[in-house]
Amino acid sequence: MSSPLYTKFLADSRRGLIAWAVGCAVVGMGYASTYPEQKNNTDSMPAAFRESLHVDATAAGYLQATVFGLILPLLAMIYGITAGLRATASDEESGQMDLLLAHPATRTKLVVQRFAGAVTGALVICTVVWLALLAIRDGAELNSVTPVELLAQCVNLLLLCVTFAALAFGAGTAFGSKVAVLASSIVVGVIAYMGNSLYTQVGDGIKYVSPMYYYIGGEPLRNGFQWGDIAVLVILSAVFLAVGTVRFNRRDVNC
Amino acid sequence: MIELGELTKTYGTRRGLTGLTLEVRKGEIFGFLGPNGAGKTTTIRLLLDLIRPTSGSRVVLGLDPLTDGIRLRARVGYLPGDFVCDGRQSVSGYLRFLAALRGGVPQGRIDELAERLGLDQSAKIKKLSKGNRQKVGLVQALMHTPELLILDEPTSGLDPLVQQTFLELIAEAAERGQTVFMSSHIMSEVEAVAHRVGIIRDGSLVALDSVANLRSVSTREVEVTFASPVPADAFIRVPGADGLRVDTAGTTLSGSFSGDPDDLVKALAGHTVTGLQVTKPALEDLFHSYYEGAEAAPRPTPRPAPVGEA
Repeated sequence: MSSPLYTKFLADSRRGLIAWAVGCAVVGMGYASTYPEQKNNTDSMPAAFRESLHVDATAAGYLQATVFGLILPLLAMIYGITAGLRATASDEESGQMDLLLAHPATRTKLVVQRFAGAVTGALVICTVVWLALLAIRDGAELNSVTPVELLAQCVNLLLLCVTFAALAFGAGTAFGSKVAVLASSIVVGVIAYMGNSLYTQVGDGIKYVSPMYYYIGGEPLRNGFQWGDIAVLVILSAVFLAVGTVRFNRRDVNC
Repeated sequence: MIELGELTKTYGTRRGLTGLTLEVRKGEIFGFLGPNGAGKTTTIRLLLDLIRPTSGSRVVLGLDPLTDGIRLRARVGYLPGDFVCDGRQSVSGYLRFLAALRGGVPQGRIDELAERLGLDQSAKIKKLSKGNRQKVGLVQALMHTPELLILDEPTSGLDPLVQQTFLELIAEAAERGQTVFMSSHIMSEVEAVAHRVGIIRDGSLVALDSVANLRSVSTREVEVTFASPVPADAFIRVPGADGLRVDTAGTTLSGSFSGDPDDLVKALAGHTVTGLQVTKPALEDLFHSYYEGAEAAPRPTPRPAPVGEA
C-alpha cells in the first residue's frame, strides 16, 4: 500500500477528509444527543411512517430512524461518490489522466490504489463517527445499544460508503465522464432511499434492490453484525469496481 | 525505436489516422509536423497505448505498447500536448510524485533541469504562467533520462530564450543516444534540431525526409538585376526556373526557383549581374505546399536570408 498513487490520493484529500470526519461526527452526536428529549415524541408519529423507518422509543430505534437512517448514510454516499469522481473521471476530463497512464503503472493499479485511498478515507470517517457516538453514549441515555452493536452499524455505514465509492469508480472508469458518474450515482442513490423506505407501499420485493436495505435492514443496532448483509455490500462493491476496471483497460482514454 | 505500419485510428465516423507508416531510428531527433487536427496527437497517444488502433501495427522500443506497456513506459518520457497538472501542490512536490511513480529519480537531475529552464520549484503550480507550467512538463519528461522522448508540441507557451534552452536539451539528449520524437505545427521550431522530418496531413504521411534533403528540393525566392537588358527567354531552359520571369525592361529576373542553384549560377554567368538576392530555402513554404487545402495552417512571416545562402 505504499504506492505513491495511494499516498498521494490520500494526501491530496486530507483537508477534505478531516472536514468530512468531523462533520459526520458532529452531525451524528447532535442527533443522537437529542434522544432523551425525543424518545417520548415517537408516539405522535403516524404509524405507517414509524413502521417504514423502524422507529420506536428505544435507543436503537431512535438512532436507526435519525442518525443512521437518514443523515449519515446520505453523507456516506456523497463522500463515496465525490471520492470516486475525483479518482478517475475528473482527472480524465481535465486531461491529467494521460500523463499518469504514460508512467509505468497499469490502469488497474491506478484504480485499485486510488480505491484503496477512498476506502481508507471512509474508514477514518466511520471510525471517528463510532468513537464520537461512544463518547456521548452515557450522556445521551443510549446505553441499551452496546458498543459492538454501534460498531456493527458503523461497519455497515463504511460499507455503504464503499459501495457508492465503488459505483462512482466503476462509472468513472467505464465511461470517463463526470456526468456518467453523477447520473449513475443519483439513480442508484434514489433507488436506495426509495426502495428502503417505500417498500411497505409498493411491495416487499423492492427492498432487496436497495443497498440501503443491506446497510440497515438487518438492524445491526439491535442484532449486531449482519454477515450476510456485509457480504452483499462487499460483493456489490467488487462487482462495480471490477466491471469498471475491465472496461477501463479496454477502452481509449479520453482526451 | 518506433515502427508504425499502416496504423489506422477511426473515431466513430471521424478519421484520426489513415494508414500511417513510419520508422524512427535510434538516436535521431524526429520532427513530426502537421497542422492542428492532422493526427499528431492521435499518433502519440497510440504510441503510449492511451488509445488503441483500429488497425495496423505499432512497435515502440521493440515492444508492443498494449502487452508490454509497463516495461515500455518506464523507458519513455512523455510530454502531453495539453500539459495540465493539479494546481494545489508545489512544483517540487509534484515532480517528486511523478518521480516516485517511476521508482525514483535523482534529485540532482531534477534540480539541474529546473535550473536550466529557469523553473522555480518552490512555486505552487496554480500560480505558474502557461510557459512555466510547460517547463514542469518538460522537466518531468526529461528527468529520468529515458531512451525515448515523446514530446507533443513541446515548445508551446515557451518564450524564445527558453525555447533555445529546450532545443539545447534535446540536442544533448540525442548526443547521449536518446531518441526524440517531437511534434509541432511550426516548421521553424523543428528544422533547427531535427534530423528527419515527417509531415502529416489528414491522418497520413505526405512527406518524410531529412531536413537537408527537404531543403534541397524546396523553393528559393530569387531576384537578379542586370547591367543591360537580357532576352525574356534567356533562362527558360534552366531546370526549375518555371517560376522566374524577366521584367519588361529586361533588367530584372525575379520569382521562385526550385532547381539546382548551380544551374542557375552557370546560366547567369553569361550576363553582367549587378545585384543578386536569394532567400534561404523556406521549409515553411514547402511545408505549406503540403498544407494546401488543410485547414488552419499557421503561416508565420517568411524570413529573408543573406545573399547566396543555400
